[in-house]
Amino acid sequence: MAHVESQQLLLGLAEQLKLPLLQIARRAELSSLGQEVDLGAIQSTADAALRLIDSYVLGVRLAESGQESLVLEPVAVSSVLYDTAQQLDSVAKFYGVHLELSIGGKYGPVLTNRQGLQAALTSLGMALIEALPALDSKHLTLQLGAHRSRYGIVAGLYSDTQTLTKETLRRGNALVGKSRQPLVGVSHSSGAGVFVADAILQAMNLRLQTTRHNRLYGLGAVLQSNNQLQLV
Amino acid sequence: MKIILLEPDKVLADTYRQALMQAGHKVVMCASAQAAIFAADELKPDLVIMELQLTGHSGIEFLYEFRSYDDWATLPVLVLTNVPAGEFTGSWDLLRDQLGVSGYHYKPITTLRTLLRSVNTLAPVHP
Repeated sequence: MAHVESQQLLLGLAEQLKLPLLQIARRAELSSLGQEVDLGAIQSTADAALRLIDSYVLGVRLAESGQESLVLEPVAVSSVLYDTAQQLDSVAKFYGVHLELSIGGKYGPVLTNRQGLQAALTSLGMALIEALPALDSKHLTLQLGAHRSRYGIVAGLYSDTQTLTKETLRRGNALVGKSRQPLVGVSHSSGAGVFVADAILQAMNLRLQTTRHNRLYGLGAVLQSNNQLQLV
Repeated sequence: MKIILLEPDKVLADTYRQALMQAGHKVVMCASAQAAIFAADELKPDLVIMELQLTGHSGIEFLYEFRSYDDWATLPVLVLTNVPAGEFTGSWDLLRDQLGVSGYHYKPITTLRTLLRSVNTLAPVHP
């Protein structure tokens, strides 16, 4: 990741982090006005913000250390998606978003950095969960799914909103750090989670892509299955 | 007072709604510009509180459309936004004079008490 890109991503992240801090501050104030406030919600908000910061740091570290020192291991995509759903669960509840796992089918292990893949999918998930209630989504459902395409195994997050297009992502990448809303058709915020996910994936020699599955629109990464690993 | 709260973040919207309701106001939350137009038709609001950063539209686009209806041409609108004043001081004349914005609050430094005071008095707060 070039220095300028890293700084632009940091700007987007700083802007994004205002949201959870604002949510916490106002809910604390609401409590002082005599309203009952869910402390679990405050904890989830803080946890999600901390996770986003960790993901950003991971992305920068992975990019700085270079491909040659990337720790690769056999990873079951379905288990990463399952763990990602667990991490997203509490935040999804507060946004009224239903999480759905679609990990049927045998894909075999892929050779990748598990921590990086999970951090990328979690960052992406947080960004989409926050965005969905203000989108044209009818069902407020985020599907975490894997499917096989002609390019490899696609691990991604899907919803029924049609604004998750290749063009939206391309424009967003060009505007990150320069615009308040690089993904204006998708998110009311800086959408930092999407760009942090992309940065992590790029550091792993992967890329965030738009994808479609089960008539849903999504973002995800294409991973290569490894036949040799399946024999182990 | 009947209020339309145009706020795209659901968690934040819910917090503002609770504070406003506790102060005796009726609040309808809208996450998008389109939803706010529909809600205004139903509710006949006394006030709109809105974010300028919306998904798919800018708040200014929403205001142009909103003000084009006779019923809502003079309805008070309070801007409560993440956009700092310095970024749109050039547009403030447009917002105040042409689009009838009654007041501006920068979200990160606007407490619930400040918001409630502003709603109750509808006193303009200029950037």
